Amino acid sequence: MDQLGTTLRELFEKRNLSRRTFLKTCATLTAILGLAPEMLQDVVAAAERKLLVPVIWLHGHECTGCDETLLRSQTPLASDVLLNMISLEYMDVLAAAAGEPLEEHLQQVMQAYKGRYILAVEGAVPLEADGIYCMVGGKPFVENLRQAAAGAAVILEVGSCAAWGGIQAAKPNPTKSVSVSDVIHGKTIVKIPGCPPIPEVLTGVIMHYTLFGKLPPLDSVGRPKQFYGNRIHDTCYRRPFFDSGMFVEKFDDAGSKAGWCLYKMGCRAPEAYNSCGNMRWWNGLSYPVQSGAPCVACGANNFWDQDPFYERLPGIPVPQTVANADKVGLITAGVLTLGVAAHGAASLIQSKKHAAEEEEKAKEDEK
Amino acid sequence: MKTKPIMHGYYVFSPATRLFHWNLVICIFLLFFTGLYIGNPFFIGSSGVEPTYAVNNLLSMENIRYVHFLAGYILMASLILRLYGFITHKGDRLFPKFWTRGYWDGLIDTQLHYMFLRTKHKPYLRNSLARTGYASVYGMILLEGVTGFAMYAMIRPNGAGAQMINPVNHWLVDEYMVHVIHHYVAWMIMLFVIVHVYMVFRADVMEKGGETSGMISGRKFYEEEPVDHRDLGE
Ligand code: SF4
Ligand code: SF4
Repeated sequence: MDQLGTTLRELFEKRNLSRRTFLKTCATLTAILGLAPEMLQDVVAAAERKLLVPVIWLHGHECTGCDETLLRSQTPLASDVLLNMISLEYMDVLAAAAGEPLEEHLQQVMQAYKGRYILAVEGAVPLEADGIYCMVGGKPFVENLRQAAAGAAVILEVGSCAAWGGIQAAKPNPTKSVSVSDVIHGKTIVKIPGCPPIPEVLTGVIMHYTLFGKLPPLDSVGRPKQFYGNRIHDTCYRRPFFDSGMFVEKFDDAGSKAGWCLYKMGCRAPEAYNSCGNMRWWNGLSYPVQSGAPCVACGANNFWDQDPFYERLPGIPVPQTVANADKVGLITAGVLTLGVAAHGAASLIQSKKHAAEEEEKAKEDEK
Repeated sequence: MKTKPIMHGYYVFSPATRLFHWNLVICIFLLFFTGLYIGNPFFIGSSGVEPTYAVNNLLSMENIRYVHFLAGYILMASLILRLYGFITHKGDRLFPKFWTRGYWDGLIDTQLHYMFLRTKHKPYLRNSLARTGYASVYGMILLEGVTGFAMYAMIRPNGAGAQMINPVNHWLVDEYMVHVIHHYVAWMIMLFVIVHVYMVFRADVMEKGGETSGMISGRKFYEEEPVDHRDLGE
């Protein structure tokens, strides 16, 4: 807890890190936060003055994938982020303590920093059967969440599970998992979706709040604009192939080797709002589309139910097989055309018959 | 000898609506086929060409999308014509009047006829089945417009258009779902077109009322007074 009540600058001094290192870190932060280079001065000033904000990190219904990605965040280094910069006060999977002492510590932190801490939630909230499908510290997770949320300054929904419900919420959703914002109301909630989210995005949001005391600009569903403002498709370096109509047809064809567009392999990036295309993963090394795999839009609501992932349109379950919309449409149109033709023929016959009958009747009347 | 019956003309469609109708025909066909291509780009005309040049190919994705968007804009703009007709001309306002007895009687009457259980149906300016069909196709076209522009606007996520229409992308679960709905509704409109074209030709052959030419001249012809002639306000 010794980071609390200190500034970033003091932290660096305590560790005998040079001013140069401090300034470099600030420059990196400025870039991640999506701020203009002229803002560097403000970032430095804030890092010298602003006290670090304590972070409580809760785990619900999830796979700890988001922790894994956070540990691998590169700029700033994971160890730095975790131990120094964001002053993570409670995180069950990374804490050295366990059991009751840890839970007690959580209560203490919540008391001591009431109304001032950032609550990061990873994982969905199962509601079925009073929430017994996810128990933490002997209590349903939903209760822990409600308690921790009450005293939080802001809540971050880390990952697609917390933001939308995630894989646990996939049909038929037996545990009735929902997102954090479905349960918690009346609080400032930031969505940081992704499966997992890009770690720099998460630390970026936390640093933005720490340094400026407010959240970065959010879009209409509550995602930070600078990271979720664009479709990956619009920043994709394969885009020229898309516009030219040059598509990979199979994973091992010539187009795939030449790096053509993955649209026909099911690429969901035209609907994926994320930073993969410009920030990339693992210190800017690569991202799925670059590695030749179509994007599944893991940061989008309901992506888990929109299979098959390697086809453009989701399948329509027809008995015995799975068809696609165009095939079903074409067959229906064909059947319909035959149907109306048959109906037309029948109508003509009926009308002829009717006319003949009328004539017969008319003749009879004449007699 | 049977004498030819005397036909009376009724002025049903206003010029604005007729113009709108034929514009719709062109736009819907353009939209449907370019849309199919966008959903599943089956045609590869650009193999072996650098994308820098291939993008200028007549049938590149870029150009096909351009046609799609252009047709979409024209269709939406032409709704103004339809609105004008709707306001100024009574014949352009043939609603399905669910709340009247006549609507339900007509529905049964025409259905029995189409199922060959009745040799003839009564004369209508527009029968209940057609009224319902047209109302729902307008609904589908509007849905296509809304979902289409919801996706299109997101090219500029911070633009004014996106600010206005983006909520649609989230009401309908998420943007991918919007693509899917847009695609399915397009097929439904096409199925409507098949039935519609058939029904019009059928009416022309069976009732000789000039159903097809009506969309050009504006007039339909009847031997007897149509049941719903009051909808024209005469
Ligand atoms: S690979 Fe995906 S993101 Fe890139 S241009 Fe093709 S469809 Fe768009
Ligand atoms: S490329 Fe797509 S699927 Fe992959 S992490 Fe990014 S948003 Fe998720």
